[in-house]
Amino acid sequence: MRLGKTKGWLRGPATVGIGRFRRFVAYFDWPLFATIALILVIGLVNLYSATFRIAAAQGAPDHSGKFDAQITWVCLGIVLYLGMTVLDYRNLTRIAWLALGATVIMVVAVLILGHTAKGAQRWLGFGFFRVQPSELVKIAVILAMARMVHDRDDDTMSVKQQVIRWAAVVAPVLLVAAQPDLGSAVLIYLLILSIGYLAMSNLWPILIGHVVSIATLPILWDYMHDYQKNRVLAFLDPSNDPTGNGWHTRQSIFAIGSGRIIGKGFMEGTQNQFSFLPEQWTDFPFSVWGEEWGFIGALVLLILYGFLIFWIVNVALSARDRFGATICLGVAALVFWHTVVNICMVLGLAPVVGVTLPLVSYGGSSILTFFIALGLVSSVSMRRHVG
Amino acid sequence: MLIRSAPGTGPALPELHHRLRWLLVVVAVAFLILVGRLWQLQVVRGDQYLEEALSNVVQKRFISSVRGKILDRAGRPLATNRPAFNIYVSPDHFADAVPELVRLLGLSADEQAEMQDNMDDARKRRARAPVLLLSDQGAERVTLVEQASYRMPGVGVRYVPYRDYPYGSLASHVIGYMNKMQPKEYEKYRPLGYDEDELIGRDGIESKLENELRGKKGEERFVVNARGQRVEGAEATRLIDGPAFTEPVAGHDVVLTLDLELQKAAERAVRNLPAAGVVVVEVRTGRILAMVSKPSPDSNIMTGRLTAARKAELDADPRQPFVDKTLQQHYPPGSVYKFVTAIAGLDDDVITPDEIQTCPGSYEVSRQVFHCTSAHGKMDMRHALQRSCNVYFWKLAEKVGMDRMADVAFDFGFGHPTGLGLNGDLPGRVPTKDWYRQHGDSRIGNTLNMATGQGDVEVTVVQVAMAYAALANGGDLYVPQIIRQVQDGSGEVLFSYAPKLRHHVHASPEALQVVHEGMDMVVNQPGGTAYKYARSDFVHFAGKTGTAEVRGRRHRRNVDIDGWHPYGNHAWFVGYAPAEDPEIAVAVLVEHGGHGGKVAAPVARDIFEAYFRDVKPAYDKAMAEKKGAAK
Repeated sequence: MRLGKTKGWLRGPATVGIGRFRRFVAYFDWPLFATIALILVIGLVNLYSATFRIAAAQGAPDHSGKFDAQITWVCLGIVLYLGMTVLDYRNLTRIAWLALGATVIMVVAVLILGHTAKGAQRWLGFGFFRVQPSELVKIAVILAMARMVHDRDDDTMSVKQQVIRWAAVVAPVLLVAAQPDLGSAVLIYLLILSIGYLAMSNLWPILIGHVVSIATLPILWDYMHDYQKNRVLAFLDPSNDPTGNGWHTRQSIFAIGSGRIIGKGFMEGTQNQFSFLPEQWTDFPFSVWGEEWGFIGALVLLILYGFLIFWIVNVALSARDRFGATICLGVAALVFWHTVVNICMVLGLAPVVGVTLPLVSYGGSSILTFFIALGLVSSVSMRRHVG
Repeated sequence: MLIRSAPGTGPALPELHHRLRWLLVVVAVAFLILVGRLWQLQVVRGDQYLEEALSNVVQKRFISSVRGKILDRAGRPLATNRPAFNIYVSPDHFADAVPELVRLLGLSADEQAEMQDNMDDARKRRARAPVLLLSDQGAERVTLVEQASYRMPGVGVRYVPYRDYPYGSLASHVIGYMNKMQPKEYEKYRPLGYDEDELIGRDGIESKLENELRGKKGEERFVVNARGQRVEGAEATRLIDGPAFTEPVAGHDVVLTLDLELQKAAERAVRNLPAAGVVVVEVRTGRILAMVSKPSPDSNIMTGRLTAARKAELDADPRQPFVDKTLQQHYPPGSVYKFVTAIAGLDDDVITPDEIQTCPGSYEVSRQVFHCTSAHGKMDMRHALQRSCNVYFWKLAEKVGMDRMADVAFDFGFGHPTGLGLNGDLPGRVPTKDWYRQHGDSRIGNTLNMATGQGDVEVTVVQVAMAYAALANGGDLYVPQIIRQVQDGSGEVLFSYAPKLRHHVHASPEALQVVHEGMDMVVNQPGGTAYKYARSDFVHFAGKTGTAEVRGRRHRRNVDIDGWHPYGNHAWFVGYAPAEDPEIAVAVLVEHGGHGGKVAAPVARDIFEAYFRDVKPAYDKAMAEKKGAAK
């Protein structure tokens, strides 16, 4: 069955005789949505606490502008999620490479603007609206790799074409690393690796890529900024910490550890409330959560993420086509690596690199990226039921 | 089964199904690591991290108590407090704040080194609270720091009372000084509530009465944020367990028996001598009115301002400025010890005071010839004391014997600590036959040496002063007293110390009278060893000179500090006045000073004159006024 031939949405024998809305309600992936909603609620509760102090310092009565902004992003995100659900993901096979091309151009634009501004640049402004292309590029990479998996039976593809495709997929890793946004670069790299190992029938390109990237690591080190090197060094040897990078990790560990089993309670975390946690709303929300809700709260959040990943993999296994299955796999990998890297960093198991916690960290680009990604899964999930 | 396939068809992505095992292993291992780490941090080490997190926000600050003053007998301060400012820097800001401070204040190399030491200490003990980097800064510097505080986060200024000694080196061995604790000492004192950079009393009264003077420091606990700024409000104070503020309790004042004016006079009397010890004691109470040990370091410099260079200089001084020469150093008494031989002879009836002996200038015992200072010719006991004839006392010693002389010496307090309990209070040494047997050296020469206070006899200046006070008051040997009372800040007396009698000596009044007459003649009749040099028209005083030879002089390194040679004789004069009804006794030792009459006796005379001319009238008048005011 060629997916491209299906026109319109939800056309098929199973849909006959049922109203669109009722069909939607019947086939909508409620467990997925419920899990997302629970994580979102935790994220908002946590953000309220994490930003409360700043709000008080700025004279606002209750919560800060960050909380309001996050609510806006979440609402917009849910709209996007539903939009992606309604949209037939199979249409995306055609625009997968286009999407990758567009986002790579945005990354390059950021790189050039950043170069002229003489500093790290991660944002691209569109008038009132700023996006972080390094987030969007992750979705484009997932789509492009799904397309590669989709096209694998195409015998007409030459080796040259294969190489060009791989190069296009790997290019964002280097471009994002050059921004420099080491966290996103590592994330995209892990994403490619995960999809490659799990979905590709031919593992050679991935193995070769792996060897090459490890071999080029020392060269990459030379290109890294001093602050990045210091972060890595501080992680490897916390006692040798001239610039105080270990301080953040130490404070984060104090925060989580001091939460003990049941936590200090909502808005009671001293590490959070007295600003001992760095960027507690973007990179360290898990410290705030662990401090205020303890081991039990942390476990609940981990179980939710675990279930989310399990559920997405489940969708992948039962997807009706390779393209959809690979998309789900990619999104599962995206959620998994974001969660694990962020929490490892917060628990002192990984160097501090700016990787967000899915659906919990503050920030429009991150929230919207995850909503789009999970919307794709929802779309795939719903179309499992149509013949 | 949750994992389902699409109906009808096989799995869309068979590779995924084949490799699912790997996916599950990776995800499970990753989540298990996270949960394990959370368990370790939150459950196993949770309490420890809670403490760490709390100590992040709740910081302690000690509020120094005001240390008690040290006063002289009339209430004049010898040690007091003045306001000082300390500069503290929080350890997180060492790197940025310290270079800024150096630039702002134009710190000298010494000050920078001190600051570096303090920072190293702080790093060693992993300090988190602000660390004292510069102590006792002037108001000008403090103003500079406070003006620049907006660009120097983590730098704070604290007002503390700082120890001040208005007279510097005056009586500094008695008063003592203060300095920082060594890290090991701090371990010992921390349970007693000492702060890391608190100063502690050293030497003298500062050390002995540390617990009375110190008071009890207060404590303030407050909440800070990550930038070290204080956070106020109910939410913040809720984190503080227990009271946030404990008032400090001021230390008690200590009133000494010293008289500031007499102390000044005594120090003036030895101003031209390189090394000396002087003790002035009230003969009827045992109270010490003045106590000088020279050279004496300035207590103000010793208290926190002793540079390494200055310390090395003091340590290298062969006169040992840190040793209290009235209590911590033994000396041979020389002829001032002869009264012991005289009393032993008289009370044993081996001699009468009027019995005439002849001094040919030397004395031969078992083929050893002992030389006298000159050929004194015929004389009785009084004249023997007056001229300090060695031959007379050698002959007498042979009749009396060593142990009998030792009995009398012990009776007058030699050979045991005086009981003052300050600065070591050495026991001295009165050798007996037993002692010599133990040390394998019993010869007749030892007995002769003992008669004239040489050989193995060793005393402290305070012991001699107390013995002469007993001679002067008719035989009451007192425990010397330096602390008169301890009182609180308002003058309310908490403890008062009465004069304490050690015992009444066994010497007969007749014997004491003969010795007294001889000592009167030493000063007041031509031919006396002090007559030429020290007789005073203003005060009628009696006393005994001594010129004690230093043992092992050949082995001593030759140095010369203002006439001070390590092999020179020690010059002694010990006396009391007024001779007819003694009130005070004065013991003067001039270390390696030479002839007792020539060098030490004039010092005693100056002190006697100052006492009876100025000090006593002023004190009596002040006391009378006080009494009048009280009525």
